[in-house]
Amino acid sequence: MTREQITAMFTRREEAFNAKDSAALAADYADDAVIYSPTAGVHQGPEAAKEAFDFIFHAFADNTRHTEALVIDGDRVAQVLTIEGTNLGGLMGLPPSGKHFRLPAVFIYDFRGDKIVRERRIYDFTGMLIQIGVLKARPA
Amino acid sequence: MTREEIVGLFERREAAMNDHDVETIAEFYAEDAVVESPLGGTHQGRAAVAAVYGAVFEAFSDATVITDDLIIDGDRVVHVFTMSGTDTGGLMGMDPSGKPALMPMVFVCRVANGLIAHERRIYDFTGMLVQIGVLKAKPA
Repeated sequence: MTREQITAMFTRREEAFNAKDSAALAADYADDAVIYSPTAGVHQGPEAAKEAFDFIFHAFADNTRHTEALVIDGDRVAQVLTIEGTNLGGLMGLPPSGKHFRLPAVFIYDFRGDKIVRERRIYDFTGMLIQIGVLKARPA
Repeated sequence: MTREEIVGLFERREAAMNDHDVETIAEFYAEDAVVESPLGGTHQGRAAVAAVYGAVFEAFSDATVITDDLIIDGDRVVHVFTMSGTDTGGLMGMDPSGKPALMPMVFVCRVANGLIAHERRIYDFTGMLVQIGVLKAKPA
């Protein structure tokens, strides 16, 4: 894909994410795509990707992503973004806390043609769990 | 900087990180470089950069770094690596816990004139504190 095509794809994906359109997001993954997500675990392929997005949209009904930078290197892309949402649907078997989180994140993508074959999401996951009240932390 | 120059800079930095050579590492940063770090806060200049690396290597005396990805787009570079180490020296004024930590990390950098001018570090910082026992986390 050209730089313009990649940029347009990420604009479209951000809109789809913010519209909670899991089918549109999932359609961009190759059948053998592997997604490393702290929140949803490691999963593979478009069907699992759709389920994971639905799981995330259930836990955080107001979840949004805001892209700050796209670093494009051929078929590898790093997306620097801010993610935020409110724990309105519960997570990990717990009732919803109603608490909000906001975090910087970096997602790393490998492309084959116009499909994502690998996506690795890195952010302060434990900090997120504390912000939304799933974990409580105190100095040891 | 050319791609080759950037790759060389980050290879030398990885080697210096594995040598725990904070003086050499600091020389890869511009005199007025700004670093945004969960551990060290926002800090500026080589002395501050060296001090934060020094605190990490004092806490994790066996720390090693392996590069997973280096994504280069003009003057922007995303360095994805995994750091592993054992808390043998104590972090943030705590007693050493003797616990190991495995930390995927992302440093989002801007380079200029052969040096790192700006760096923003994103990783599961809270998870690291929990792994080495600085924080205790329990289900809420």
